[in-house]
Amino acid sequence: MRLIVLPPLNVSLIFFFLRILTNVQFVRGRRRSCKAPSWFAKRRVEPSIYRNELTADNAEFVREVILDKYADKSSPLKEAPWPRNEWQPKRSMRGGLLAIKIGTVPQWTKDGRKFNCTMLQVIDNHVIRYTPPEVFTQSAGYKSKWKGAYGSLVVGALSSDPQLFSAQYLGLFKEAGVPPKRKLTRFLISPECAIQPGTPLSAMHFKVGDYVDVQAKTIGHGFQGVVKRWGFKGGPASHGPTKFQRRPGSIGSGRKMSRVMPGKKLPGHMGMDWNTLRGLKIWRMNTKYNVLYVMGGNLPGPNHCYVRIYDSQLPTHVQQRAQKPPPMPTFYPELDASEPIPEEIFDDELFEFTEPSIVYEEGKK
Amino acid sequence: MADKLATLGFRSFLSHQFLKRSVAAVSCRYANTLSNETVEKHRTSTLAHDKEQKEEKKISAPAPPGLKHVHPEFLPNPTFYRRDRIKEKLERQDMYRRRAVCPIPEFYVGSIMAVTLADPYASGKTNRFVGICIQRASYGLRANFTLRNVVDNQGLEIRYDMYSPLIQKVEVLRLEKRLDDELFYLRDAPAEFSTVPFNLEAVSHPPGAPVPVNTTKVKLGPRPWHERWERRNLRGVQDLGLPEKFYEKAKKVAKPWEEYDLMLKYRTSINPQETDEVMDEVAEGFREIERKRRREKLEKS
Amino acid sequence: MAALMRSRLPSLLPSLPLSQNFSTTNSLQHIIKLTRLRVVDNSMLGNQSVVAGKPPRCIHVYNKTGVGRVGDKVLVAIMGQKKRAFIVGVKQRARPNKPRFDSNNIVLVEDNGAPTGTRIRVPVPSDMRAMEGDVTKILALATKFA
Repeated sequence: MRLIVLPPLNVSLIFFFLRILTNVQFVRGRRRSCKAPSWFAKRRVEPSIYRNELTADNAEFVREVILDKYADKSSPLKEAPWPRNEWQPKRSMRGGLLAIKIGTVPQWTKDGRKFNCTMLQVIDNHVIRYTPPEVFTQSAGYKSKWKGAYGSLVVGALSSDPQLFSAQYLGLFKEAGVPPKRKLTRFLISPECAIQPGTPLSAMHFKVGDYVDVQAKTIGHGFQGVVKRWGFKGGPASHGPTKFQRRPGSIGSGRKMSRVMPGKKLPGHMGMDWNTLRGLKIWRMNTKYNVLYVMGGNLPGPNHCYVRIYDSQLPTHVQQRAQKPPPMPTFYPELDASEPIPEEIFDDELFEFTEPSIVYEEGKK
Repeated sequence: MADKLATLGFRSFLSHQFLKRSVAAVSCRYANTLSNETVEKHRTSTLAHDKEQKEEKKISAPAPPGLKHVHPEFLPNPTFYRRDRIKEKLERQDMYRRRAVCPIPEFYVGSIMAVTLADPYASGKTNRFVGICIQRASYGLRANFTLRNVVDNQGLEIRYDMYSPLIQKVEVLRLEKRLDDELFYLRDAPAEFSTVPFNLEAVSHPPGAPVPVNTTKVKLGPRPWHERWERRNLRGVQDLGLPEKFYEKAKKVAKPWEEYDLMLKYRTSINPQETDEVMDEVAEGFREIERKRRREKLEKS
Repeated sequence: MAALMRSRLPSLLPSLPLSQNFSTTNSLQHIIKLTRLRVVDNSMLGNQSVVAGKPPRCIHVYNKTGVGRVGDKVLVAIMGQKKRAFIVGVKQRARPNKPRFDSNNIVLVEDNGAPTGTRIRVPVPSDMRAMEGDVTKILALATKFA
């Protein structure tokens, strides 16, 4: 008698499946990849059989050790902070934040215009590592188009239980001296904007009225046809078409075009790819909960997705930043806040709900 | 015996495969995303350096039982993937602030209301519209209501955002309910059912008294209508006088089981315990507004 | 057989005239070509069309989208004539704080832009006052703003 004995649900298998569909939307020059880059540290540990057999006392002991090592530290900086540099217009590029999208609400301007804002909460962000340009040029993720001008800054969000992660992954956080983070992300920065590893980042990294770019992973739609993916019209519904209701039609003809041109819009995997929205204004900020109110109700990704936020790279905003330099390299509450930070900060043009109703004056249009 | 075990094994193999695929499929739609519970866990985690401080709830008294029907927009959107504790909290905070400046009285669908709105194009820069409330919709700061009236034989409807700063004043001239949750059928009824004079004087409602229900049965005009009202299970209209085949079709497309669908109710409403928590907070918010108003009055006098 | 079908066809149709027997974008309530409209000024032609029960029909919308909004100019077929008119109220879903009308209202104008009637009998949207161009001529006829 042979029985089919199955192993318990293999976690690594699931993660393998998840990775299959990363970076799949067709972008010229980018190749479809099924694997995470080889230099990424393996993140999760296999659920160990021993963990289930820990006695309650031992589990409590492990918890105490973890708390003793990581929690309740007012400042995790081991040394004095690095010297702060001057903002250099049109050259400096600061790091960003890794926030979580928590919802969309309407807001009104002082002249009564209504618009949507997306709320982004910055939860437990820390600088994990800074790599200067000299070292960064040697690394595997470096691209020659950056011409050695930028280093990289790794920012992590959401402190987690160290028992969940592999020793290799935990090693990433040794330098910063912070608990392992659930999510890491990397920003290109110019060397004068370097931040010391272990520095906590808050929503005050940006100022109200600043313009930011945001990046997030869009909602996945799977393999889709051209009508849904690219908004093609499809074929006529009646008057005799056979099997042509949602087809793309011709994809190339003639002397020059008698082939499929690169970048042709065709069926394929839709969504679940990184998308960027540029030049969004920060209208409002809640410093207690670290919430940013960013212009627009159409930020990529579903609710509770990770969102990368950084200074807008659009030329107009880069120029404007020359007049209004942002906090360099980030906002340090002990040094930069001369008076207690207000709980809520509003843009000058934004209507605050404590104000009286809007009244239009006579003789004005 | 062996066969039985083999089938069992095969079945568990199938379910295993199914689970694997479904987990992958769900996660592929929402990649790089956390569940609401996970975010909550991290907000209050002992390892977080800016851990959210637990606030002591300062609730002096529980909310009156019917408050959720009086202010339904304070309940969050029940769609599960739109829920977020901090977002809802900050949104409600804004709503209290706005209500402290511009009070919005209790009203229901069927009440007769007047709204004064800042209008840059009107003479005097304000515009007052009177009408019967035919709809109340949405949640949080998005909440809105629609007023309907007939002026010079012209049916007019205006939708107002309840928390718009353009609103100068909201008056309830007749506080009453109707038999239905939405009165869009008034569009297909004769004008007299939705005509309200602009100079209607307000009748004050004694506080604490039950809200009267207006049991008017509306006689709809002839077809064509905006909707197939015979399919809507309306209580506030008279017999529609349609041929039998209309009712037969309505019976065919009706979904009487939805009344007993517990999962549907679960998905489309906030559970009672959470509702009570929110409403206790709302009651406290209203008391705070009242206290503030009294303080200001004292200072003035 | 075909001849038999053809002879039967008229009896299958309801008593309404053919032009009123089909609807155009009823759900969106857009004003497009062949949408029936309502004249709300006191012009002779408008009154005649009301009395005869022959509402004017939009035969062209003078804008790029082909969907008429408040303040747009349209060409209408009314009592066998072609006339130009301005839209002063639409049925389609309105933005917050803006009125939604129960009918698609128009005011007839002559080719030189002067209004045909002397008075508008229903309220018109107040944000029409911000508009520029020929529309301003008809605003003088309005009695009420909503």
